[in-house]
Amino acid sequence: MRTIKNIILVILLLSCCVMTPSPVWAGEATALVTIDALREQTHAMEQEAAVLEEENRGLMKMLKEMEDDDIYLVVDTESNRLTMRQRNRIILTAVVGTGSRQFVEEETGRNWYFETPTGSLTVLGKERNPVWIRPDWSYVEENMPVPPENDPDRIVRGVLGKYALILGNGYKIHGTKYTELLGTHFTHGCISVGDKDLEKLYRSVKIGTKVYIY
Amino acid sequence: MQNVTIKSRAACLLLLISLLFVGMDGNGQEQDERAELLEQQKVLRAKIETLRHEQDFLIFEKTLYATNSKYLIIDLGTKKGQLKYKNRVLKDFRFTASANGAVDAFKPGTLTLTKKIEDPGKRHVLIFGKSLVIQWKRPAGSPYAANIPLLSLSNRDFQPIFYAVEEGAKAYIMR
Repeated sequence: MRTIKNIILVILLLSCCVMTPSPVWAGEATALVTIDALREQTHAMEQEAAVLEEENRGLMKMLKEMEDDDIYLVVDTESNRLTMRQRNRIILTAVVGTGSRQFVEEETGRNWYFETPTGSLTVLGKERNPVWIRPDWSYVEENMPVPPENDPDRIVRGVLGKYALILGNGYKIHGTKYTELLGTHFTHGCISVGDKDLEKLYRSVKIGTKVYIY
Repeated sequence: MQNVTIKSRAACLLLLISLLFVGMDGNGQEQDERAELLEQQKVLRAKIETLRHEQDFLIFEKTLYATNSKYLIIDLGTKKGQLKYKNRVLKDFRFTASANGAVDAFKPGTLTLTKKIEDPGKRHVLIFGKSLVIQWKRPAGSPYAANIPLLSLSNRDFQPIFYAVEEGAKAYIMR
C-alpha cells in the first residue's frame, strides 16, 4: 500500500513538472521569457504597428489634402526648359529662352541686369495679341534717345507672338520672332516660347496658375 | 472487495498516466505557440521598421511643405531623384551611385546640404556633410568623396539642381 502511494506521488510530481510551462532563454537575452511574456510582447508590437499605421494614414490624408489637380508650370532657367505638370505627370515640355544675364548701363548711371526672376510666381493675366511697350532699357541698349513715358512710339505690335501670360513686374511668358534662339539665354528677363507651345500653354493655363522658376 | 480495490487503483493509475500524457501534449503545443509568436514578432519588427521609415518620410514631406525651400528626394533603389518644392515636382532626374559600398550601407533619412562648391571649370559639387556628395558625372571620380557615398548626375540635370538648392536645403534618402 505504501509503495503504491509512493508511486502515485512520484507520477503526480512528474506530471506536474511536465505540465508546468517551461521558461526559455530569449535569444541572447539574459532574462527568462515565459510564454505569457512572449504573448504580451507580441501584443504590444501589434499595437505599436497599429498605432503607426493609423498615424501614417492620418499623415497621408493630410498630405493628400495639400495636393491639388491644378496644372502648374516649372521653368528651369539653367537648361532653358519649361514643363507643364499636373501632379506627377508632365503634360508639356518646351524649349524656351530666358534672361540673358547681361548688364546694360546708361550714361546717367541707370543700369539693368537682364535676368529671369526665380521663385514662386502666379499667372496674373492672359493676353491675346499682346503689345510690347518698349521700356527705357531697350532704347539705351540700342543707343537711342529715350522717349517720354507715354510716347506712342513705345508701342510695338507683333513681337510678342499671339499670346502672353502675365507674371507681374513686367515679366511675361510670350512668343518670339527669334525662334532660333530658343534654348539659350537671350531675353531681357521674360520667358520666350515657340508658337505651338505657347498656344498649348495659353489654352491650358488659368489665371492663378502657379509658375515655379528656378 | 480486494478485486474492487485493485480495479480502483488501476483506474487511478490510468488517470494519472493519461494526465501525464496530457501534460506532455500541452508542452508540445506551447513550443509550437512559442515558435509561432517568435515568428510573428520577427514579421512585426520588420513591419514596424517599415512603418517608421514611412512615417519619417511623411513627416519630412509635411515639414517641407510648410517651408519655402526646395528639396531633393533621392531613391537609391530606383536610382531616380526629384527636385521638389512644396510637394510639387520641379524636376525628375536619374543618377548613378559610387561602387565603393558606402551607398549600400545608407540608411533612409534626412540629410542637409552643408556646402556648395562652385568650381571655375563648372565642375560643381553638392556636399551633404560627411554623408553624401552629389556631382556631375565624370570619369575621374571626386576629390571630395574618398569614403563618402557619391551620386553622379548628367551635366544637364546637375547644373539646374546645383543652382536651385541653397546651402541648408534638405534631401531625403529612400531605399
